[in-house]
Amino acid sequence: MIALLLVAQAQLFSDANAAYLSGDVPRATAAYEALVAEGVASPALETNLGTAYLRQGKRGLAALHFERALFLDPADDDARTDLVELRRGNVDKLEGESEEGSSETLSRVLAPLPGSAAAVGFLLLWIAGWSLLGVRFLRPERAGVVGWAIVSFALSGVCALVTFGAAQGRKIALERGVVVAQSAAAREGPREQAVSHFEVHEGTTVRVEDEEGSFRRVKLANGLTGWVPAGAVEMVVPKSWSGGSSAPPASRAAAE
Amino acid sequence: MLKRIGSALLFALLVSGKVSAAPAAQAADVELFASTDTNEVEVDGTLMLRIVANYLSRGDPGQLQLPAFSAFDVVSTSSQEQLSYQFASGAPAFRRTVTTTLALTPKREGDAVIEPAHLSWNGRTYATQPIRIKVLPVGRKPSARAQRQRQPNPDPFAGLGSMQTDPFGDVHPGQRDVLLVAQVDNERPFVGQQVTYSLYLLSRVNVGNVENSQQPKLDNFWAEDLEAPQQLTPQARILDGVPYQGYLLRKRALFPLRAGKAVIDPAEVQIQTGFGMLFSRGSVKRASQPITLDVQPLPPGKPPGFDQGNVGQWQLSASAEPLDPAVGSPVTLRIVVSGYGNVRDLRLPKPPKIDGLRAYDATTSDKEVVDKGLINGTRTIEQLLVPERTGVIQIPALAVDTFDPVQKQYKTLRTEPIDLRVGPSAAGAAAAAPLAQNLLASGGMRPIRLHLSEARLSAPPWSRPWFLPLLLLPPFGLAVLIGASRARRMLQTDPQQRRVRLARSAASKRLRGAQELLAKNDAAAFYAEIGRALTGYLADKQGIAAAGLTRDELLLALTGRGHPEETAKRLVRILDDCDRARFSPFASEAPAREAMLGRAETVLGELDRA
Repeated sequence: MIALLLVAQAQLFSDANAAYLSGDVPRATAAYEALVAEGVASPALETNLGTAYLRQGKRGLAALHFERALFLDPADDDARTDLVELRRGNVDKLEGESEEGSSETLSRVLAPLPGSAAAVGFLLLWIAGWSLLGVRFLRPERAGVVGWAIVSFALSGVCALVTFGAAQGRKIALERGVVVAQSAAAREGPREQAVSHFEVHEGTTVRVEDEEGSFRRVKLANGLTGWVPAGAVEMVVPKSWSGGSSAPPASRAAAE
Repeated sequence: MLKRIGSALLFALLVSGKVSAAPAAQAADVELFASTDTNEVEVDGTLMLRIVANYLSRGDPGQLQLPAFSAFDVVSTSSQEQLSYQFASGAPAFRRTVTTTLALTPKREGDAVIEPAHLSWNGRTYATQPIRIKVLPVGRKPSARAQRQRQPNPDPFAGLGSMQTDPFGDVHPGQRDVLLVAQVDNERPFVGQQVTYSLYLLSRVNVGNVENSQQPKLDNFWAEDLEAPQQLTPQARILDGVPYQGYLLRKRALFPLRAGKAVIDPAEVQIQTGFGMLFSRGSVKRASQPITLDVQPLPPGKPPGFDQGNVGQWQLSASAEPLDPAVGSPVTLRIVVSGYGNVRDLRLPKPPKIDGLRAYDATTSDKEVVDKGLINGTRTIEQLLVPERTGVIQIPALAVDTFDPVQKQYKTLRTEPIDLRVGPSAAGAAAAAPLAQNLLASGGMRPIRLHLSEARLSAPPWSRPWFLPLLLLPPFGLAVLIGASRARRMLQTDPQQRRVRLARSAASKRLRGAQELLAKNDAAAFYAEIGRALTGYLADKQGIAAAGLTRDELLLALTGRGHPEETAKRLVRILDDCDRARFSPFASEAPAREAMLGRAETVLGELDRA
C-alpha cells in the first residue's frame, strides 16, 4: 500500500515537472501543492514549488518554499541560490544596525549541525562515563577505567555542545516567518485601528515573536517590530513538520 | 556619389541578369558594368554589348581590357566619353562616364558566354560578370520576351545622378517657385521588401540653404539612410516648360513591417532663397505630399517555420577552416548570408550540436552597404569548434527559408555538408587548451529538480520525553549503587561490634522507656528499667556482666577499663539505689525518680566519653 502511494506521488511529481517545463506553470503549481497537502516533505518539491511561484510573480510564496527547502535540507544549494536571487528583487531593503541579522547567520551556521546524531552520541557517552565510574566503584582494583570515564565525559561534552547549537538553530528556525502578502501594514498593536509606522512586503523574512487574535508580532532583521495580520505572514516550519511546535512562543506557552 | 544611383529600372536590370557589376566596385570611385540588349540571338544576328565605366573622381581612366569573345565575332566597336563638372554650394561634383559599345555576332548556336571585361585603375582591377547568351539556329526567332527586351540599350546609369529618368513626370508645379516632392519607387511592396523613399526640392529661384528639415515619422517601417547630402547639388529639369533646379535632400530605404495601408507623413523644410547674405530674399517653408503605400502580405505557401523577417534576395554559404584539424585544435565554422534585404531582421537557424565537436558561443556580425540604391547586407556567424575525437566529423547542411519579393516565391537556401578530417594532436600538445573565453556570469534561477527526494521529519532526540530521564538515570543509578553498597557493608558487621556501637542508643531508649513508666507512676518498673539500661550498657559497651559481679568487682572492672573511679562509684550507687527503691515498701517521691533518671543519663554520658 505504501509502495503504491510512493509510486503515485512520484508520478504526480513527474507530471508537475512536465507541466512546468511545457510552460503550464499554474498546473505545475497545483500539482506540487497537492503533493505538499498529502504530507510529502521534500527539499526538491519545495524548491520546485518555490521556482514555480516565482515564475508566477508570487515572491512571498516563492521565498516561503525556498526557506522550507532549506529547513529540510540546510545543504540544498539550489534553494539557497534561488533564495538569494529572489531577495535581490525584494521591495523591502532593510537599513540600520542589524539586530536579527546575526541570528539568521547563526541559524544558517547552526542548521547543518548533526543535532540528532550528536544528541544520541551525547547520551551514549554520558551513560558510558557513568557506567565506567560505577565499575570503578564496584571494582576498586580497576583504576584504569577512571581515565576512560574522563574521556567519555569529555566527548559527551563536545556532543552536548553540538546538540545545544543544533537545538538553538532549530529554535530560531521555528520562529521564522515569511511575508506572503504583497504588502502589510505593521502596527503598534494587534488592532486594525493601531498606528502603523511602516509596511512589510512579500518575500521579507521575519521573526514571529508573539500572536494575539488575528495578528502576529513580527521583528525584522534590523529590529523593526510591529503587529501584522496573521494571514500576511506564513511560518517557515508548518505545524505538521514540527509536531505542532511551530506556533509563536506565546501561543505555544498558552497551549501548554 | 555611388549612393545616389538607384532606380527601379536598374533594379529590374540587375535581377534579370542583364547587368553585371564588378563586386569590388561597391565602395570604390569606379563602377564597371556590362550589359547586352538581349540574351537570345540568332546565329546570323547581332547583339549589342555595352561596357560602362563610371569614374567618380578625376585621374587617368586606366586601361579597359575587352573580353576574349571566344564565342563571338566583333563586328564593330565604338567608344564615347562624357564628362560633367558642376560647382554647387561651394563644392565641386565630378563625373566621367566612358561607354564602349560593341556589336557582336555569334560563331555557333547553343549556349555562349561573354567573358568578363577588366579595368585596371589606380592599382586595382575591376571586372564585369560573365553574361550568358543563348544562340538560336538560323530562322528561329528569339522569344517574345527577348524581343521585348531588344530595344535601344538602356544605360543602367543613365539618369542616375541627373534628372533624365524623370522622377517628376507627374509633377506639375503650377505657379510655385519652390516645392518639396516625396517619392517612393514602389507603392505596393511586400512586407519586408525595400522601398526607396526620396525627398527632392524643386526650385526655379536660387536656393541658398535648407534648414529645419523635419522628416516624417516612419513608425511602420524599418528605415535606413541611403543618402543624406550635406550640400545641395542642383540638377537641371524642365517641368511644364519651366526650368527648375532639382536637389536631392534625403534618400532612405524603408522596409514595411506589416501588411496594409502605410502612410508616410509629409516632410517639412525651411528654405533660404537668394544669393548669399547681401541678396537674400527671405525664407519659405514647404511640405511634401503624404504618400500611402499598399503593403502586400506575403503570399500563401509559407514553408513550416518560415520567419517573417526573411524577405529578400539572399545567398547562404558555410565554410570551415581548417578542414583537417588535430584533436583539440580550433576550427572556425563560418556561416554567411548576404544579399539584398534587411539583414537586421533576418532570422537564421542555430548551428546544430555536433557529436565529437565541442562548440563555443557563436558570434554574429552584421554589415550593410548601399549597392546601387539597395541595402546590401551580410550576416556572418562564426563559431569556434574543437574536435574531441579523431576521424571524419561531418558538419551537417544548414537550411533557411526565405521569400524573394522580386520573383515572388519562397526559396529554401541550403549549405553543403562539410567534412572535417580530424587527426591526432601533436605529441605533447595540450589536447584542449583554452581557446575562447565564454564569460558566464553567476546568478540566475536554478532549473527545477526532477527527482523527488523525501526528507525524514522527526522530532529531535532532545525534545523526546525519554531524553531527560535517560540523561539523569546514570548518575542516579550510581548513587543508588553507592547507597546500597554502604548498606550492605553495614549489614555485614560483627554482632558484638554492633552491640558496642548501639549500646548507648539502646541505653537511651530504655531510659526513655523509664520516663514513660515514670509518667505512669510505676516506681518498681521505673527503677527496674533504669537498672536494665545501665547494666545493658555495661554489658554491650564495656563487656561487663554486672549481674554476676559484686559491687567491688564491678568497680575494679570499670576502673580497669580506664573509667574514672568517681564515675564507677556513682554507677554503683545508682545501681544500689535502684535495687533499694524496687524492693523498698516505701515508694520514693516523684522528684527523686526524676533525679534518678538524670543521674543515670549523666553517668552513661561519662562512661561513653571515657
